[in-house]
Amino acid sequence: MMLPFKQNPTNEVQAFTELHKRKPRVLVAMSGGVDSSAAASLLVDQGYDVVGATMQVWDYSNCDVTEGNGTCCSSIDVDDARSVADHLNIPFYVLNCEAKFKHAVIEPFLKAYLDGQTPLPCVNCNTYLKFDHLIRKMNELECDYLATGHYAQVMPGHDGRPAIFTSTDDWKDQTYFLFTIDPEVVPKLLFPIGHMKKPDVRVYCEEKGLVTAKKKDSTGICFVGNMGYDKFIESQVAPEILKAKSGVIRRFPSGDVMGNHTGIHHFTIGQGKGLGLTHHEKLFVLKVDIKDNTVWVGDEEYLYSHDVQVIDPQLLSSVADGEVLGVKIRYQQKTSPAKVVKTETGFKLEFLEKQRAVTPGQAAVFYREKQLVGGGWITL
Amino acid sequence: MNFIYLDHNATTPLLPETEKFVVSNLSTFGNPSSIHWAGRKSKALIREARSHLSQFLKVSPLEIIFNSGASESNNTIIKTTFLHSAKKHFMCSMVEHPSVIKTMQYIQGLGAKVDFIPVSRDGVIDLEFYKNHLTKDTALVSVMLANNETGNIFPIQKMARMAHEVGALFHTDAVQALGKHAINLNELGVDYASFSGHKFYAMKGSGILFSKKGVPQISLMHGGAQERHRRGGTENLLGIASFGEVARIALSHGPGFIEKKSSEIKVLRDHMEKRILSEISEVSVMAAGSSRLTNTSSLILKDVDGETLLMNLDIKGYAVSTGAACSSGNPEPSPVLLSMGLTRAEAQTSLRLSLGWENTFQQVNQFVDDLKISVQKIRDIANSPYKFDMRREHDAAL
Repeated sequence: MMLPFKQNPTNEVQAFTELHKRKPRVLVAMSGGVDSSAAASLLVDQGYDVVGATMQVWDYSNCDVTEGNGTCCSSIDVDDARSVADHLNIPFYVLNCEAKFKHAVIEPFLKAYLDGQTPLPCVNCNTYLKFDHLIRKMNELECDYLATGHYAQVMPGHDGRPAIFTSTDDWKDQTYFLFTIDPEVVPKLLFPIGHMKKPDVRVYCEEKGLVTAKKKDSTGICFVGNMGYDKFIESQVAPEILKAKSGVIRRFPSGDVMGNHTGIHHFTIGQGKGLGLTHHEKLFVLKVDIKDNTVWVGDEEYLYSHDVQVIDPQLLSSVADGEVLGVKIRYQQKTSPAKVVKTETGFKLEFLEKQRAVTPGQAAVFYREKQLVGGGWITL
Repeated sequence: MNFIYLDHNATTPLLPETEKFVVSNLSTFGNPSSIHWAGRKSKALIREARSHLSQFLKVSPLEIIFNSGASESNNTIIKTTFLHSAKKHFMCSMVEHPSVIKTMQYIQGLGAKVDFIPVSRDGVIDLEFYKNHLTKDTALVSVMLANNETGNIFPIQKMARMAHEVGALFHTDAVQALGKHAINLNELGVDYASFSGHKFYAMKGSGILFSKKGVPQISLMHGGAQERHRRGGTENLLGIASFGEVARIALSHGPGFIEKKSSEIKVLRDHMEKRILSEISEVSVMAAGSSRLTNTSSLILKDVDGETLLMNLDIKGYAVSTGAACSSGNPEPSPVLLSMGLTRAEAQTSLRLSLGWENTFQQVNQFVDDLKISVQKIRDIANSPYKFDMRREHDAAL
């Protein structure tokens, strides 16, 4: 690897300390999970002046205490983050972000489902909370850096300026969720575990005696928990609004009516299970038409397409019109080469190989080799 | 790091002498109710503590009921009066501690009629309202001696007399005044008063319910014969002993000790406020013109989120508070400041400094130097927009 930054953070800290006559101070976002616990502990090892914070984003007062266990934002997780901070002997604060989270993350999430899309709320949380609200908090608390437990790395890009690169752990890499980060903010970011693989992170936490070492990974979306998407949406949206989103299921391309459904929020593109159909062939959701709430299903071959339209693009680095970049159209997928062509509202992606289940509401994220270049939102 | 504690209204550190005293008694384990040697030793500690505290408060030892602290005392008096009085009207100020406000709301739910006495923006209690709402049906009035957030001192003597004129009982939550303000319970003329040891340089978990001879004395905690059947449960031995020890130390300095401490701290507090007001722009002191505790300074700092300022100062080693400590982690601004007529936005910019016996000029000066930097830093970015601005969202919703 090219860079001293990740290779020898202790030297970086020493250089900073000599220059500024004080240690660099870092605000670390601690969710109470194993990754951010390791991040905080590594920063302490490296000699930073570390301040921990947890964003409280959802009201747990009505929750069963065990309900949220193991996801990234239950109150037990706040307690775990606090005990790790105590163990590390660093200041720790709980920041109440419930109202902002509700407006900036939950409401767009619900709206997307009602618009027949499959949203990606973690990106909004990163855009408006982790890499905006916490950046402000970082400045207010006179910190020099903001650190998170993301699997991503900050290293010099092709122009020598700090840029975001994929994690050493290909499987855990989380750069897909980071494309909306402001380029000016990147030099302020530290991803202490970005050069590690998940099993090594756990070993490290065990060696350090952190209570979170054996906690199971948070998977899925924190505020949905074990409830499942359908039930979560039904708990938040009035029944009559959901009922107005019921309709028929038609087969593509014949148009034959295959049955009825109780709301478009039950469906996502590429879904092959839970369609409520008694049909002997395997059918998949191809499209959700919000004009009349028709859900189109059909054979798997119809799921594939070459072109993808992207709106609201955010770029961390400039992109030449027609440049071929590696693109991911969903998390935990390998990049696939696509020609990125500018349009009035964003980009058209012309994939060299057909892509399966292009899903409106998800992100298309661009990479130049390992460097995160930007991304945008997939639309019809 | 140099740690400086400026949050004495939340709690106080143990006096060094008290700490030594407690440590030397750690092996005293007997149940004070036991007749044998082990019990006698413990009982002696409680008796001595009661003796010191009764002298310090100038009341009879029998008028002191030891319990867990002021929240318990406040609950006891309000709930037992509601249960046993034929009269169902209660009053308290709008700026009481939650252990009074919430208990009043609780009995309201059970059928009591409760009036909350308003205060002005300077924290001055509305005596006209009080007078107009006192009736022959008033069972109990509960008004704090001094406010925890602003330090406002209320005219308890006068208010107790007015309550007695209509046959009502009068309780004062005196927890904030103890050790900061000379208290004479006889002069005040109250029937009940609440105190906590931990606001008086003693350990946490012990308190006093002062209950004047001759007034109704009903236990909330039924059980053993402790405190002459007025509070069941094995005593918090070392907590009580430490409380008594602080009183003993105070008494050992002779009469006028609290007055002397109080005026020494006033010099420090006034120096601090003078510097803050002259060196930081757009800052005001709540209740500055009213009678208030000499150790308390409640600031309103334009464009500075109080909670953020608290964190910033904490990282630098300063312990301060925004409004009531009980509300930390809760985004609601201080109910006390809202009751005084501040807007939510103003109340969110509050910072409470409360000095104690161990603070020094050097500490206060160092604090003001750092406070200036912190305030400036936060103000510099106060108006830089968030990507998702809740204020803008809020305005749009309106």
